[in-house]
Amino acid sequence: MGNNLSICLLDDEPIVGDRLRPELENDGYEVEVFTDSASAMQRVEQRCFDIVITDLKMEGADGMAFLELVRERCPGSQVIVITGYATIETAREAFVKGAYDFIAKPFRIGEIREAVKKARKKLGKKTVQ
Amino acid sequence: MPRNPGQKMGFLHKLLPWRRGEVIPFTEIFGRFQSILQKNTTAMEIIGDMGAKLGGEFIFDKKYLRDCVRQVSEVVRSSAYDLNFITANNYLEVYEVLENLSTELETELAGKIVVHQRQNIYRLEDIGDNMDDAVGLKAYNLSRLARLAGVRVPAGFVVSIAGFRGYLAYNNLFQKIETLIEDGAAGRRSLESASQAIRLAILGGDIQPGLRREILSAAEGICAGNPERCYFSVRSSALGEDGDLSFAGVHDSFLNVPFRELLSSYKKVLASLFSPTSLEYRQGKRLLPLEMAMPVLYQVMVNSRSSGVVFTLDPVDPTRQECLISASWGLGRMVVEDQGMVDTYRVSRQAPHVLLEQRIGHKASMLAPLEAGPPREVAAPAQDQPCLNPGQAAELADLALTLERFFKRPLDIEWSLDQEDVLWLLQARSLGVQSGGRARSNQLKGLLADHRVLLAERGVIAYRGIAAGPVALVEEGDDLGLVPAGAVVVARYSSPWLAKAIPRASAVLTDVGSTTGHLATVAREFRVPAIVDMGEATKVLKPGQEVTVDAERNLVYQGRIEELLHNQLLEATAFETTYEFQLLRRLLRRISPLTLTDPDSPEFTARRCQTLHDVIRFVHEKAVQALVDVGKAPWNLQRRGGKRLKSSLPLDLVLIDVGGGLAPEVQGKSQVTPEQVVSAPMLALWRGLTWPQAWSTEPIPVDFKGLMASLTRMRPAQLDGAATGMNLAVVGSNYLNMSLRVGYHFTVVDSYLGPMPNYNYIYFRFMGGVTDITRRSRRAALLSAILEESSFKVESKGDVVVARVKKMSQERTEELLVLLGRLIGFARQLDVLMKDDAAIGLFFEQFMGQQQAKQGELSSHGE
Repeated sequence: MGNNLSICLLDDEPIVGDRLRPELENDGYEVEVFTDSASAMQRVEQRCFDIVITDLKMEGADGMAFLELVRERCPGSQVIVITGYATIETAREAFVKGAYDFIAKPFRIGEIREAVKKARKKLGKKTVQ
Repeated sequence: MPRNPGQKMGFLHKLLPWRRGEVIPFTEIFGRFQSILQKNTTAMEIIGDMGAKLGGEFIFDKKYLRDCVRQVSEVVRSSAYDLNFITANNYLEVYEVLENLSTELETELAGKIVVHQRQNIYRLEDIGDNMDDAVGLKAYNLSRLARLAGVRVPAGFVVSIAGFRGYLAYNNLFQKIETLIEDGAAGRRSLESASQAIRLAILGGDIQPGLRREILSAAEGICAGNPERCYFSVRSSALGEDGDLSFAGVHDSFLNVPFRELLSSYKKVLASLFSPTSLEYRQGKRLLPLEMAMPVLYQVMVNSRSSGVVFTLDPVDPTRQECLISASWGLGRMVVEDQGMVDTYRVSRQAPHVLLEQRIGHKASMLAPLEAGPPREVAAPAQDQPCLNPGQAAELADLALTLERFFKRPLDIEWSLDQEDVLWLLQARSLGVQSGGRARSNQLKGLLADHRVLLAERGVIAYRGIAAGPVALVEEGDDLGLVPAGAVVVARYSSPWLAKAIPRASAVLTDVGSTTGHLATVAREFRVPAIVDMGEATKVLKPGQEVTVDAERNLVYQGRIEELLHNQLLEATAFETTYEFQLLRRLLRRISPLTLTDPDSPEFTARRCQTLHDVIRFVHEKAVQALVDVGKAPWNLQRRGGKRLKSSLPLDLVLIDVGGGLAPEVQGKSQVTPEQVVSAPMLALWRGLTWPQAWSTEPIPVDFKGLMASLTRMRPAQLDGAATGMNLAVVGSNYLNMSLRVGYHFTVVDSYLGPMPNYNYIYFRFMGGVTDITRRSRRAALLSAILEESSFKVESKGDVVVARVKKMSQERTEELLVLLGRLIGFARQLDVLMKDDAAIGLFFEQFMGQQQAKQGELSSHGE
């Protein structure tokens, strides 16, 4: 079906990964879930993902730093930012740092799937690996 | 930086806004009053928003819950502050109530369980929503299942956690148990010896006299004068920590318990909470001793001819579309404990549940039903005959699948068929089935591609899940009893009358509706997948057509896709079992129910507020009252300019002029006549309020002739004013803010009416009513329909209906104010008269008919 793209999901609230992973896997994506930014960063040093979904405000390193790392290491990755502290400022900063889409928590599962679909279209057929 | 002392004084002054003898200017009071209304609306919106998250379509985290709780508490607290400001700190105890609620909410957010209910005993039928903490999951689930169509549960009652704690306290056992458990955990004693010491202590205790009486009288109530032939099962209903019946088998349960042993059995079940197995289990789960709590469930024994177990899926091969039944004569324990020969049946999961295979065991013995003492093995009758005929097997499969739809996972169900062939549900628990994992999902995807999609992403998901069945198109006035069980109910509007069909439906689809409406609430309560606001479901779907509703992906497929239904059952976790979801449910218990409903009752006090919604309601009521009192007291009338309106309407209305709302000649008077009112929006509203039919209490004929006849017959003066209350209108030349309490309803109208369309608006808010949610929502549905038909933008959340228009011409705004006036009088009778769902349509026609007649009358006047 040609949609075996890889997704990296980082959110320090486990519920987000718990509920999103089966949804995205059902759509045929390969999903890796992280709840702390350190291990997500470590993973991104090892490999790139087609799509990165990340929270912005988390304990330890924040999502913005992770976003920067992804932009630097994997310029081809499409980044979708999800955050509970959705202000215009954070949104602007995320976009400036190269986020592709921005979704405020709490969100409908449909919204994320829609954003992922759009990101996939943008990627075309190519994969970043 | 040194503090400015003046600033500090200002702060103190803010804390103590009112000093005795000081007259607060009316404008200030009114400003606070408006601020209360606004804050209450904000709070209700947050509450509605949280409620909508119960549908499973949203992903939310603890941060969201924390933020919501803090926001809503903050807004309500601020509203309470305003109330105290305008009432000279008359309601300081509201702060205490809010403080307690906040503490409870914060405790929940911190992950600890707060048990609210204090009663020792609940009959199964009295167990309310969200009471699982008090009565245990087993009893709670049974009480929910008993409400599903076609499910019979033996009568029973639960001794709650309050009863359990009472027992420990009465026998001074708290400390003792804690010490023994600590000793066991620290290795100072073996687990076995700690367990034994605890159990002995519990068995040696006395049941507190109150509880003793309550158990016996509840049991007597069930046995209805025949205690000699009445036996009970006594079991643990202990709390599971993950929404599952995870303690199954860990605690003791007793069957055939005669009346005289009801009390001793209670102690025995309690003692099993501290068996070595149970202690080990709890230590493994790191449950603290004080969190141990044991609700105990008593249920009357079924006089069973046969009984057994049904699995909704074959756990060995879940892809087979079959239910698996085992059965034996007499009591079911032989099947449950896997002793002796039994019958096994395979039945198709698809209606009409054809019997596919049966293997009849040689059932040499059975456990005799209805005998005192532990079940006794006796020789079975008809040893080689089947226990079930194909019809009974089908009935059983139907029951099993009804429960499976509710829990959305494969189940292991204990059942019993009594001597009169009536089928009883005894227990249901999750059935462990191996999931196929992702390979299945890819396979499924390929398969789904072959199915025709009838509706794709058309509406909003109100409750997630997957279901299939024949389409039943229903219209208002249809006999919902005729809707076949398991049907996919499709309707134009998410009207409250549909709620009746939900417990039997497999899914609900509507063209119009919202996720915060009453229908969505009921769908969530019964866990029926629902999609609302689909636009044209009633056009696309044909009656009787078999469809599969995917209320996860927002799709409706043609045909029944077993694989998709199956896949849902095998998925790892249903969203209902996630921690966040459960936490949300717990939090909402302190937030959203309205228990304080009757403002005329002596119980309508701050201390009786049990939820934030109660506080909101209380503050609103008292704020209106305070405003009215300001106007009512004679000395206030003079000092602040309030004037009572003299009229024949059963409304005690006080007017306060904020500029140009009353004729100049009323200066210094304490009463005014309607002729002296010059406020444009007030005049328009008054025209509606005084319209002859508006205060009718008689059923009004809908045909034109009868309508005209009644027009001439009815006069407002004839009508009774008993059900009206305190009312206040703040008027200006173009401004009106009116708060009415008519019956139990609160109405607020806020409007500006002048020649410039840009400034014109009407805000109408209607809330409250009797406790009965069905009637309340019928009324909300009717009001919404009328208001929408009359071009208002309507939002309805719970029992609040808010309607707005703005930027309309002077003429149109005026017309709508007249309509609102009529509607307010009209709504007064609704709670009483809206006895059934058909009334919604009837009253809609009636009101709109009158409206047309009125317009006809007006235009003929104009000629």
